[in-house]
Amino acid sequence: MLDLLKGFGNFLLKELKELIRDPKILLAMVIVPLIMFPILGAILNFSMQAAQETATKITVLIINRDGGENSTRFMEYLKASMKVFTVNVSKIEDAVPLLTEYNATEIIEIPETFSQCLAAEENVTIRVYSVFSGAGLFEGAGSSILDGLVEQFNRELAPNLVISAKSAIIKGQIVENVDSRMLGSLMLSQAITMPITIMILLSYSMQIAATSVAMEKEEKTLETLLTLPMDRFAILMGKLSGSIIVAAIGAVAYMAGFNYYMSSFMSTISIGANVDLVSLGLAPSLFGYLLLGLSLFVTLLSALALAVIISAFAEDVRGAQAIVGNIYPLIFIPSLLLMYLDVNALPIALRIFIYAIPFSHPIIAAKAVTMGDNLTAALGVVYVAAFTIIIMYVASRLFATEKILTAKLRFKGLRRRKRVTTEELQ
Amino acid sequence: MSFAVEAKEVVKVFGAIHALDGLTFNVKRGEIFGLIGPNGAGKTTALRIVSTLLLPTSGTVKVFNLDVVHDADEVRKIITYLPEEAGAYRNLSGWEYLQFMANFNTKNKSEVQEIVREAAEITGLGERLRDKTKTYSKGMKRRLLVARALMTKPKLTALDEPTSGLDVLHAYHVREIIKRYVKEHNVTVLLSSHNMLEVEHLCDRVALLNKGKIVAEGKPKELKEKYESANLEEVFAKVVGLA
Repeated sequence: MLDLLKGFGNFLLKELKELIRDPKILLAMVIVPLIMFPILGAILNFSMQAAQETATKITVLIINRDGGENSTRFMEYLKASMKVFTVNVSKIEDAVPLLTEYNATEIIEIPETFSQCLAAEENVTIRVYSVFSGAGLFEGAGSSILDGLVEQFNRELAPNLVISAKSAIIKGQIVENVDSRMLGSLMLSQAITMPITIMILLSYSMQIAATSVAMEKEEKTLETLLTLPMDRFAILMGKLSGSIIVAAIGAVAYMAGFNYYMSSFMSTISIGANVDLVSLGLAPSLFGYLLLGLSLFVTLLSALALAVIISAFAEDVRGAQAIVGNIYPLIFIPSLLLMYLDVNALPIALRIFIYAIPFSHPIIAAKAVTMGDNLTAALGVVYVAAFTIIIMYVASRLFATEKILTAKLRFKGLRRRKRVTTEELQ
Repeated sequence: MSFAVEAKEVVKVFGAIHALDGLTFNVKRGEIFGLIGPNGAGKTTALRIVSTLLLPTSGTVKVFNLDVVHDADEVRKIITYLPEEAGAYRNLSGWEYLQFMANFNTKNKSEVQEIVREAAEITGLGERLRDKTKTYSKGMKRRLLVARALMTKPKLTALDEPTSGLDVLHAYHVREIIKRYVKEHNVTVLLSSHNMLEVEHLCDRVALLNKGKIVAEGKPKELKEKYESANLEEVFAKVVGLA
């Protein structure tokens, strides 16, 4: 056994020296994770706390058609745990516009017979209308809290005396007998699938683009290519298009597998009612789909152009992959964050940060077009397109000059220190 | 008649390093001109500037009267460049690689086929051209790349260390290809090498480079006579003051 491992220690030492002394690997493998994960953790923790706090501080509008002793008692009970405003409207539809005014997310309609039924210990149904905004994992938190309170109220009287009938308010329209919490579960697959797909698609294609440029450098084919009678912008576009096509094939394969994985357990989730998302207006319009496609395309293009620029500073494939790895936090942070949270629920500084990252926009657009907010998606496309034009210009300048061959990442500080150490040794 | 290459007072600076320091030389049409010198003398930098890959910090270089900076696109139409240790695309076959390169010169399919057929003959690789280039030995790969550089009959081809790292037989084959092609198609060759003995047999004229400057220039025979040396290695040693 010892004979078999003869020379192992010596070889391992060489391997470690080779890997650790490569500043690009050190940066990507050690420094970036050490900085990225604490930041990611802090952002997620902070945002989830903020979102949970918002969810628990729900505001309810109550239409009390009863006015009896029991309904007043019920309202007092609710007031202990949430903000309650009483509104007087003849039709439930008239209460919907008041939601924005009171910053409320739920409407409860107490029927005329409430006090009478409770006095007679008979079942009574209150109607609960919850706003569905497609905000993320905490969607329907208000509805859950209400359920809990009704249950507790029942416990003081008799089990299941007060029954709540759920309906949803989608884009200002009341949809009877659809539980917004169930809708949330149904749309969760969409909320998770999109960010994960974008995360995979962007990181795969950036890796492909960076590798393909670095391969040309490593194999010394780039020099030959740059002396051929062809437009250098065509080389850049060829690289980008090739990467997009390969990444798209990869993404389709990935999505097919992921969909199968999701459907394997989504089918066990009971929706309660027969819900058709399209008829509820919870599917993007044709224009929305176009916007989403455009958003994905420009984002992909900007990511690839960025990868090409960055990889131009590497001398070989390993170096290029390590350098491109430093961009990943900018893809992972918005993807993970927006998987759970609505961008509008974030604190203002974090919101600006997320909007500033071009890779956030397809995820934001996906949610926006589903809810019929095409303007947000369109503005995102404009922003990412402007970013892409700048990046493409830089990339084309890089290919047009000798920089594509001579650019190198320099770690001046490290080198200087090393030289001083060597001199000291001498 | 103007020169194939005219380099005047070319300076190239990389940070603190002066790779070329006032380089001046002319290459006549149809000749094989060798830039020779030790590693780091500036040979590759000079070839890269002629091939429009690098920009000179100062000075001018003209290829068949076209300025390599201002007329770079035009220059690329009449030259080919073979970098030192160049590779071919690993997952393409030799045949596909030649076809890919020929497609940049003409859109006519029968012309492409003709160019590739001729290149295949130059390589002498036969049926192995059907295999992926990643299965080739260093010598086979070099023969493929030299054929690529010559197949389009460029007005000028810049070959950086065309036989470096090759065994005697492969090196001989590559040298024979270059000699034959120049004679048959009137191609001008600018090559670099640190193998002075090889250059002596291959080049019509040579320029000896040291620290980015030309220290001697002429026909190999004339240089040997002038410096009373048996070969170019001795000439170089005497010129730079080593002997």
